[in-house]
Formats: sequence, structure tokens, C-alpha cells
Amino acid sequence: TEVPTMAQLVGPLRKELADSLFSCRVLVVGAGGIGCELLKNLVLTGFKNIEVIDLDTIDVSNLNRQFLFQKKHVGKSKAQVAKESVLRFCPSANITAYHDSIMNPDYNVEFFRNFQLVMNALDNRAARNHVNRMCLAADIPLIESGTAGYLGQVTVIKKGQTECYECQPKPTQKTFPGCTIRNTPSEPIHCIVWAKYLFNQLFGEEDADQEVSPDTADPEAAWNPADAAARATASDQDGDIKRVSTKEWARSTGYDPVKLFNKLFKDDIMYLLTMDKLWKKRKAPLPLDWTEIQQIESSQEEACGTGLKDQQVLGVQGYTQLFRRSVETLRSQLIEKGEGAELVWDKDDPPAMDFVTAAANLRMNVFSMNMKSRFDVKSMAGNIIPAIATTNAVIAGLIVLEALKILNSDFDQCRTVSLRSQSNLMCTRPLYVQIEDGKGTILISSEEGETEANNNKFLSDFGIRNGSRLQADDFLQDYTLLVNVIHSEELEKDVEFEVVGDAPDKAPAPSAPEEGKNIANGNKDSAQPSTSSKAAAEDDDVLIIDSDEEPSSSTMEASPESSNRKRKHHDADDAASKRKRLDQQPADDDEDIIALD
Amino acid sequence: MTDNKTSKEQKYDRQLRLWGDHGQETLENAHVCLINATATGTEILKNLVLPGIGVFTLVDGHKVSGEDVGNNFFLTSSSIGKNRAQAATELLQELNSDVSGNFVEESPDKLLDNSPEFFHRFSLVIGVQLPESTYLRLGSVLWEAGVPFLICRTYGLIGYMRLIVKEHTVVESHPDNALEDLRLDQPFTELKHHVESYDLDNMEKKDHSHTPWIIVVAKYLEKWYSEHNSQLPKNYKEKEAFRKLIREGILTNENGTPEDEENFEEAIKNVNTALNPTKVPSATEDIFNAEQCENITSQSPSFWVIAHGVRDFVRNEGNGKLPVRGTIPDMIADSDKFIKLQNVYRDKAMKDAAVVSKHVEALLQSVGKPPESTSEQEIKLFCKNAAFLRVVRCRSLAEEYSADTFNKDEITSCMDSTDSEMVLYLMLRSVDRFYQQHSRYPGVYNYQVEEDINKLKLCVNSLLQEYSLNVNVKDDYIHEFCRYGAAEPHTVAAFLGGSAAQEAIKIITHQFVPFNNTFLYNAMSQTSATFQL
Repeated sequence: TEVPTMAQLVGPLRKELADSLFSCRVLVVGAGGIGCELLKNLVLTGFKNIEVIDLDTIDVSNLNRQFLFQKKHVGKSKAQVAKESVLRFCPSANITAYHDSIMNPDYNVEFFRNFQLVMNALDNRAARNHVNRMCLAADIPLIESGTAGYLGQVTVIKKGQTECYECQPKPTQKTFPGCTIRNTPSEPIHCIVWAKYLFNQLFGEEDADQEVSPDTADPEAAWNPADAAARATASDQDGDIKRVSTKEWARSTGYDPVKLFNKLFKDDIMYLLTMDKLWKKRKAPLPLDWTEIQQIESSQEEACGTGLKDQQVLGVQGYTQLFRRSVETLRSQLIEKGEGAELVWDKDDPPAMDFVTAAANLRMNVFSMNMKSRFDVKSMAGNIIPAIATTNAVIAGLIVLEALKILNSDFDQCRTVSLRSQSNLMCTRPLYVQIEDGKGTILISSEEGETEANNNKFLSDFGIRNGSRLQADDFLQDYTLLVNVIHSEELEKDVEFEVVGDAPDKAPAPSAPEEGKNIANGNKDSAQPSTSSKAAAEDDDVLIIDSDEEPSSSTMEASPESSNRKRKHHDADDAASKRKRLDQQPADDDEDIIALD
Repeated sequence: MTDNKTSKEQKYDRQLRLWGDHGQETLENAHVCLINATATGTEILKNLVLPGIGVFTLVDGHKVSGEDVGNNFFLTSSSIGKNRAQAATELLQELNSDVSGNFVEESPDKLLDNSPEFFHRFSLVIGVQLPESTYLRLGSVLWEAGVPFLICRTYGLIGYMRLIVKEHTVVESHPDNALEDLRLDQPFTELKHHVESYDLDNMEKKDHSHTPWIIVVAKYLEKWYSEHNSQLPKNYKEKEAFRKLIREGILTNENGTPEDEENFEEAIKNVNTALNPTKVPSATEDIFNAEQCENITSQSPSFWVIAHGVRDFVRNEGNGKLPVRGTIPDMIADSDKFIKLQNVYRDKAMKDAAVVSKHVEALLQSVGKPPESTSEQEIKLFCKNAAFLRVVRCRSLAEEYSADTFNKDEITSCMDSTDSEMVLYLMLRSVDRFYQQHSRYPGVYNYQVEEDINKLKLCVNSLLQEYSLNVNVKDDYIHEFCRYGAAEPHTVAAFLGGSAAQEAIKIITHQFVPFNNTFLYNAMSQTSATFQL
């Protein structure tokens, strides 16, 4: 029997919109955390023709939130299983599943033009960039989304009407110079990256960019050529293993854990020590020796940290044992797979993760760093972003609401919605404050991290002085606010700035794009500071930006639709990134901001 | 470790990173009651079953209808006519084999008539799409029993949540911008001695640049004190001068140019936060001064018993300071120096916690409870989070509804601003009034929409009159709410299901701070707000 899918929606939704859901065709890119929720929401909202693509297969760690999958599905195609599960519940939907990468050239502009709407439910930037470009080329509206722990965001992208995904530069994923990884690691992450490279060198696909042995070409070591030649000869005579590939050598030893250990943590380190220039300013590494470690009494080894085994930090001996065990397991996996087989590193594969944990920690020890638990190494090695069902559910709900607006052609009503701390909503539009200096220098941006570097600077560093004009732009509705900065000597004590003029509470129509507004010191008419420049005046005409106010949050409070009743929350962090953020954002008291009359 | 534990660790890996294994454990010990398996209800349960709640009990006296199947993922057309609690439980159970699900084919009203104590057993009761009369009754039963109650409602394009909990204590509030607890302004003896063991002026270069920044700041603070009357650098200018002082300490090479000493750069960067005066935060102070902390009885929850113990510590051995937290941030330093410094803080934290334990033990004895009624681990966790404790107290529904105690100020001041979400609250109260009078919600039948608009308007007016509210509710909202016809669109239900489950997890795990006490979501404008009503 046909189920009255839209029965309840016809009330709140307009009839013609409800009808259009039956005929339109949409593409969902990704069938993971957001994707599962999204597919469910789409069919229950009345969307009939849905195509879904995902190249991934199901892993155990998906099951805490990707509810279309069960244990029996582990290892199968996400897109295919998602389709089958949805059809089991909603047999009337017409779903096509592709177990493939959206970046495959088969999915060309023509393919994208088959759809009225594309929704991203992706987990990586490369694919997001790609879909963004394809949608722009095909002129198909795109809804972009993402979650991380308790945080999430939904953005509508429509050619010619909104910013696109790549309009604003995103922070690039951190990469490290080869010689830092190979010769002079100074942070745990360097050792973790090295250990992942090592896994590939030994068991996986060899990659020339992932060398793990000492880098003799390190410019910092700067030997004189004769010296280097002598060294090269000497190592040749030692039968130095660098002459053959690491993998071949490892294979020739039968993946003997002791030989591997002594090469990696003793011989290679001794070799590094001969590059003495490297250690003039650094603490030199301390080689480890297999035999010596075996002699440590295990009672001396104290496991630190409480709770799960994963969260404990073992000692050198513990990691040495883990190294041996994991090498043995991986060796037998390799043998099982047959001649010429390769393993693929996966953070959720226990022996692979054990190997990286052990190797990274041993290297951390060699370079006098504080060792890390398996749990922490996994976070860093796998770029793990915490993920829960609740955030995905909220974000997927928001995506469909935006989708309905798009199908209704209400682009001016589309919002960028950000889910902030601990499931509290904060709604805003993209907003930037730039200086009218002809160069368009951006002072404050709602894009997280983009203008963080400006936080500690003075306005004068940007050439802002009496008479300067700042322009706050709201992209989605072509709304501009001009702020005239006027210097004054007559501020009361502790008054940092004053805003003169009425803050418009509603955005004007696009035909009237400018609203003048003055910030002046010394005027007693203090209005609500609705601009985002948290500035403070000093007697020498210098202004600095408040360092404990995050630009994004202040701009959000200034956005027209947020009232003072909205919950204001700092960004939530997942526990893992908290420490880093503290450094960037000292929560200091306001004495730091100066200000004086 | 058993296989089961390993597989759980794997399955829950991504969420353990948010609430830890002890949070997971509380979740697995929780028993949640959910009333009404509507779309909103099953979405909430789905989001609780997936992360592995212990037990759920679904209460629902309704039979599955065609409309249910249309907006609810966990009801299929084959279940039409069956009891809704039973049908939904079968499918929800499939999501996670570690969760056990029960169902009761009974309406909440009947349960309230026959055995209200049925509801006392739960860690949390979530009431979904309940009529006003039911949630008011249930609210008073649960309030008396001290069981937290979360009301959830999807009404057209509006989402509503109300949390009712007499007292909810949070040890791990996970603050966003927590400062480190380093005590540099008031160093404890062991820290002083440790700092003294360093002599920055007579050090090898390598050691100098691998000295933890905490030591560097402490050393230069001594220098600063000697020149500044033993006063901390307080304002921007002084802190700048202090930074300069540290910078001058960076070693120079033979040409007089400064060396690259990252630890000194770290010290300079951390001056602001490191010099924050050590004090008991006001929220923690309020907890110490609360009546529940003052009067410990054999019935007192362990939160208050330990709070009392910490308070005794602060007022005695602590000299006005909380127990040392015992953690330090990662920093540039060689392992040896770092670990030694870390141990100084850790040992002090253990010592302080041991003193707190003694106070707690004495306190327990005085009220005739065995010392093992609080665990060592619990006390340690409490001490570590002593600066971030939170107590959430919600107003009861009775207070919200009584003409004498309702929050008039909040309502009127919000209604001053145009399109405040407060108007949605007044509208929901009005449709409830409509239901009371007509036994149905406005606009559920298309042919009645026009006459319902007038009827609803009367309800709005009588509500405002009853509470002497001099506010203006625009006709647009009355039309809009009639148009909704009390529908429960799936996407709004999905949104609310995510939000409500998240709040439920906060309540169950006692981690993070739940909202207090009313949350409203407007799906059309994509805005939300919370009010204390």
C-alpha cells in the first residue's frame, strides 16, 4: 500500500512545493554519518528520486552513529547498504547507489546536470572542492555540510548568488618538511607521521616521498663534500642498508623484529648522531638497544594514565614488546596475502595501529619527547574527529530544511547555520570586516581561524587611524555596513570606545546597500556596539583588538538576526584540541586590552 | 580485557573521545523512559540507542497509523494497527545489540492513574508530543520523585524542549576556555623548591633551551618581584615589561644575536594566562555556600559530601585555594625536566586530594555512613574539576504555570523585540489552551482552518489576560500555527531528536552543562533561543 508520506507535510509546506519533491532528482555525496541521516530525512520528507555515492566500506567504528549499518554489514559498500536499509523502511523510494569516488571523471558536468540539487555529506576537503567546482560548472545548487564532535555547519552554495566553497581560503592541512620527519623531529606528531611512513615502507606501498631513513641531504647538516663522500664510502663498506630499499632489506631479514628495531632505533640514530651540526643547538637523540631494554626490570616500568588500556602510556619496554608483537602479526598478514602483497594502513585496524603506536613512541623516546597513549596517537595518526549521532542528526535535519528553500527558489532565505557549543544553535550569515584601503585587507572574518593572526595586532598596524573607514560585509544579502573610525581624547576612564548612531536592526533592501555609522570616542550617546570591532583606544592613538574576544563570535553577535537572547557560546572543542586552543586564545581578563584615556 | 570490551571500544571509539570511558559507563547504566513513539520520539531514541544507552522503556498507548508510517523511520506499513511502542521497539532494538528495550502498551495517563511510582525507576523520562494536562501531571510526579524530565515537542516548523530537574550537579563541565592551574602567583612549597633547583644563569645552552616555560616564568617572576615591591605584573603595560624581561633572558651567540629558544618564546606567549591570580571561581564559591553543602546528612548525594570536603580543605589546609589540579600543558622541554615538573604538580594534587579524602571520611563518619560510600577516584575527579563545578536548578512546571510565580519579566522583556522566539512559546501555550477547549489542535482539518484562526485568537487573548501580559502577538503567528495543524514534519523531528538526545546524554553522564530551562527552535528562520521560564 502507498504510504501517505507527505500527508503531514502538506500543512506546513506549500502544496506545489510538496508536489515538486515527487519529481525532483537529488544527489547525496557520501553515505557516512551525515549521509545516513540525510537519506532517511529525504525519503520521509517526500523526496522520491535519490542517488547516493560513496567509495567507502563500513567499519565497526561507524556503528555508533551510522544507523543504516549493522555489524553484519562491516566491510560492505556504504552506498549500497544504505540504499538497501532505506528501502527496507521506505520501499517506495527510488534510490540509485554508486560504490565509487565522486572524483571519478565518469561523473562529469552532464552527470551533475541530472539533478536539481546536490548535497554534500563528505569528510574530506579534496572531494568537497571537487563537488563545489562541478556544481558551479553545472550551475546546480549545492548544500555543503560538516560536523566535528558537537560542532556542525550547513551552507548553501549557488552560482552567482552565494560564496562558493573555495571562495575563502581554508587552512591547509599541516605538512612537515622531510628532514624534520627523518632527522630532527621535535614534536610527537613528527614521530607519528614517521611511523606511518615506516608502515608503508615496510608493509605497504612504497612512496619516495615517505622516506624514513636519515636524510644526508639535510641542508642544515651542511657537510663539506669530501666529508660526505667519506661517509658514503664508510657506510657502503658497512653494508649499509640504505643502498637497498627499506622493504627489500626488511624482507631479507624475514621481518625480524629485533633487526628492524636495532636498525631503526639504534643504527639509524647513531648515524644521525654523526651529523653533528644538527645537534649543536638541539638535544641529541639517544639510541635504544634491544638487548639493554630486555634487561630492564619490568617493575621499573610504570604505566601512566588511568582508565582504558588504550589511554595508558607504556614505558620503553612496553612499547618494545608492542613493536615486536605488531611486526610479527603484520608479517603473518603479509604472508597470508601472498607474494607481492601490500598492506594498507588503517587507523581502525588493531595491528597496524599498534605498530604505529609502538614505533612512534619509541622514536619519541629517542628524541626525548613525552610519550603518548595509543588513544592519543590514534587521534593524531588518523586525524580522528570525534563523531556522535546527535550532531549528525541535527545537521541532516537542517540540510533538508535548506533543501526545501532551494526547491522553492527562496535563495535569499537560505542561511549558513552553525551549530556551536554542545548542541546549542547559533545562526549567522558569513560576515567580514575589511578596511577600505583599496587593498581589501580583511580585519575580521566569520571564517574560523582566518583572521586569528590579527587578534594581537593594533589597528594602527593596518594603517587604521582617525577617519579610516571599515566595511562590514554580509555576502548572502548584499548588505554592507560602514564604520567610520574617529579618534577622540575625551573618553571616560575604562571606556574603550563608543558607537554613535543607530544600529539598524533589520537589514535594508538590497537597493539601499549602505548604512552609515560612526564610532567615536568621547561621545556620551552610547549605543549598542553592534559592530564587530572590539577596539580600545589608548592615549597615543593606538587601538588594539581585544585578544580574548574571538572575532567570529563578535561578528555573530552583530549579525542582524541574532538577538541578545540567543545563547552565546564559545566554540566548543573536543577534548583533543582543547589544549591547542588555549594557546591561541588566552582567556584573560580585560586588563590586557588597553585602553586608556 | 574481554573481547566484548575491545569490540565496544572499537564501536564507541569516536564518542569516547568526547565523554570518556566513565561517561560511557554511566550511559550504559542508564534506564531511560520515552513516552510516545512519534517521529520525534523515535529520533530521540535512535540517537540514544546508537551511542549505547543501557535500557530504554517505550511507553505508548497509540496504535500505528498511516500518518505515523509516513514520517517515522522506525514504523513500517506492516506495523499499521499494532501498538506503536511495540512496533518501534522492535526496529530500534536492531540498531544496537548492547541495548535492551522494553515497551509498555499503555498511555501515560493510565499509568499515572494506576501506579505513578512506575516512573520513579528511571534515570530520565522524556515526554514527547504530550497534551498539556499529561505533562503537568507527570511533571509534578517526577518533581516529587527527583527524576529529571525532558519535554519535547515538534509543532509544525517549531521545536520546543523544556527541562525540569530540581538539582543537577556537574563535575565535568568541560569548559571551553579553562585556564591552567599553575599557581605561579602563589607557588606551593614543593613547586618553590623545584624552581629553586634551576639556575638559569649557569646552564648549558641545551639545558637552558629545554627548561619548561613554567620554570622560566617562575624564575623571572622572582626577578620582577625584587624590582616591583613583590607585586605581580597586572596590566597590559606591566605584562609587556615582564615579557621584555623574559626576552632579555634569551641566550645570545658570540655575535650578540639572540639564539632560537622556543621555550622562552612559549614563556612570553603564556605570560597572560600564567599570571592569572589563583582564586576560587564564584560558581564554586556558590556551591560551597549552598545549603546542601552546609547541611550534610546521611541522605546527601556524594557530590555535596565531596563539595563539603573540598570546602573544608579550602578553609583550612588550602589557605583559601582549591586543591591543585595537577596537570600541566604540553610544552617544549626535554622529557626528564618535563616529567619532573609534571610530577611536582601531580604529587601535590594527590596530596591535596588525600587531605580532601580525610575531610570526606570524617564527614561521612559524622553522619553515620561508611567511608567507602565515596570512592577515591570520585574524589580525585572532583578535586581536578573543582574550579568547573556546576549546579543546574530548573524551575518546576508548577512555578512556570502559576500566575503568581511565572516569569513575567523574561516574557515581557523578550516580547519587546520583534520576532523574539518568545512569541512561539506563547503560541504553544495558546494551542494547548485550544486543545483543552476543543479536544483537538487548531487546523488539523483543512476545512476548519478559517474558523480555527478566530478560535485560536481567542485562546491567545485569554492566555495573555489570565497572566496580565501586556504584549502583542502578531496575527501572522496565529495563522501560521493554524496552518501547522499540529503536524510533525520529519526534518524538524530529526533536528529536535538530535538536540534532545544530546541534552539527555548530558543529564545522564553528568558531563557538560544542560540548557536551563526552555529551548525554542524556529525551522523557518533557522534561529533558536533559550529562556528561563
